[in-house]
Amino acid sequence: MSTESRMLIRALTLLLAASLLTACGRDEPDTEQLSFYAFGTLVELTLHPPGAYDIEQIESAVQDELEVLHRSWHAWEPGSLGRTNELLALQGEFSAPPSVLPLIERGREMEDLSGGLFNPALGKLVAAWGFHQDEPAGPPPDAATLDALLDNPPGMGDIERNGVRLRGTHPDLQLDFGGLAKGLAVERVLELLGELGVEAAIFNAGGDLMTLGRPQERAWRVRIRHPRGGTLGSIELGAGEALFTSGDYERGYDWEGEYIHHVIDPRSGRPSQGVASATVLHHDPALADGAATTLMIAGPEAWPEYARRMGVEYALLVLDDRIEATAGLAERVALDPDHEPLVVRELP
Amino acid sequence: MPGNPPPDPAQRDRAIAALAAIAIGIQILEAAIPSPVPGIKPGLANIVTLVALLVLGWRAAAAVTLIRVLGSSLLLGTLLSPAFWLSLAGAIASLAMLAVLRPLAPRHLGPVGLAIAAALAHTSGQFLLAWAVIIPHPNLPLLLPPLLLAALITGGLTGILAAHVLGDPRIQRHVRTRKSDP
Amino acid sequence: MNPIGLRWGDAVIGALASALVIAAFALAYFPAGGARVLVISQAGAAPQHEPLDRRRTLEVTGPAGITRIEIEPGRARCAESPGYRNICEGSGWLQAHGDIAVSLPNRLTLQVLGSEPGFDSLHY
Repeated sequence: MSTESRMLIRALTLLLAASLLTACGRDEPDTEQLSFYAFGTLVELTLHPPGAYDIEQIESAVQDELEVLHRSWHAWEPGSLGRTNELLALQGEFSAPPSVLPLIERGREMEDLSGGLFNPALGKLVAAWGFHQDEPAGPPPDAATLDALLDNPPGMGDIERNGVRLRGTHPDLQLDFGGLAKGLAVERVLELLGELGVEAAIFNAGGDLMTLGRPQERAWRVRIRHPRGGTLGSIELGAGEALFTSGDYERGYDWEGEYIHHVIDPRSGRPSQGVASATVLHHDPALADGAATTLMIAGPEAWPEYARRMGVEYALLVLDDRIEATAGLAERVALDPDHEPLVVRELP
Repeated sequence: MPGNPPPDPAQRDRAIAALAAIAIGIQILEAAIPSPVPGIKPGLANIVTLVALLVLGWRAAAAVTLIRVLGSSLLLGTLLSPAFWLSLAGAIASLAMLAVLRPLAPRHLGPVGLAIAAALAHTSGQFLLAWAVIIPHPNLPLLLPPLLLAALITGGLTGILAAHVLGDPRIQRHVRTRKSDP
Repeated sequence: MNPIGLRWGDAVIGALASALVIAAFALAYFPAGGARVLVISQAGAAPQHEPLDRRRTLEVTGPAGITRIEIEPGRARCAESPGYRNICEGSGWLQAHGDIAVSLPNRLTLQVLGSEPGFDSLHY
């Protein structure tokens, strides 16, 4: 065989080898996962590197912490928040359970930032729609009940605070921190994981998640589900990023052919309309949680305005006929090929 | 180089200039004719590159090609635009491929194989630049297979056309050391 | 004597180029997404891996009842699951790398994976 043909064969072999190499090269998983039930939902922990941690210790510590938070912050079962609500309704001064104070403070902040769209003081309205029970159910409130609840409704400003002493100043005031409590719980669990010596992890509570650190040589890879089933796409996350979604599919019931979901718009007193789900990426999980709910309530037209007010750079909303996103998130989400391209909305 | 440059450097330069001028002309004509499928062009100017390669050697082919890319983008007003960079990336990739395969021609490899390999390299080079720099869209790779198929077909056609040009007696005079067919 | 000077190298390059084009089509349109394994994660249990090799049905018992999972070569789906809005069933066939279905009543996630590295977490 001539030198040239040997050269040709060598070049071709090299080419083939290179193409095969790029196609293969998969490695062992560099994480380990554990899942359990806590905080009323499915909780998953992804830990990196694998084998480095005492899994049982971590699981029981996280589970205990979540049980405590779940009991204290539950909106309708007896607990610290339940007791606080009873005392607020009496409109006299009382010493607040310490676990409730951070909720109230962050709740105030979110109400301000959202211009009142996110209002944790409207527990009575949420209860009237049948969501203060494990299986939400109708009937929805009648017009007279709604009118009464919407006439001079309570806000977070109706709680006077003096140190640890609180006093309610509105008879209808009832706190419900759905849309914020999970964010704060995620924050707590990440602190706890840090104390337990975990370097890199994803804490996922019922689909809402936050990263703690990240593996050295790669970003976290997260798959995003479409609110109407199937997948929407995926995203790579760095250290300390929280991804929260508020969606109409999370809780709801059918009433006379109409689907009633759990995100209530304080302006109309009715379930919000036009947004199937709102997803927010932010380094502060409580803000991500509150902002996801706020953007969903804000609706298809106004959401960019509220994203700007709340300092949200990364948001994605699934509307009835299209998916909209901020430029920041549109750049980071790898949408599955079977979806229409994202519609980018500029923040005003 | 076994590509047999003509002895006189001035004559050689004139040949390069003439070939480059022809190539620019072809490329501009091609740009004027709308393509049925966007992003796919016959790339007939590559015939000139192949002729330059097989008659004057790789350096001449490189010179002709780079002058063509620069010259046609000047005339079309696309200099330093994304179209120019894509064109340049494709040209560099196909020249690199031709440099690798050149020692095998004409004994083991004819213009058709060269043209196909160069066309695939051209498309891949353009694609890599587009994907890495210009529009890093995750679904872009889905466009690559049809583009490669088009390159395979247009490459084959350019190769056949180049073979006919090279077979023309007026060109054949310059192909002095080309070995006779077995 | 052939008019366009074909050599054996041309045939080799032609064959390789055709193979490359076919491989590119195969890789792009039937990506590593050809799902190979179903990962069933349930609260309190280690994730269970089921190869997507042959037709069969699995039943996973959770707190709300039984989730019936159908497996076929290259795909799997949540065929029946407790839960009132049929969210799990609504995900349809899971067949591309990373496709997921979730049954919250049964505290269960299903994800199919191809040969690419899997995902670290599911956002829903």
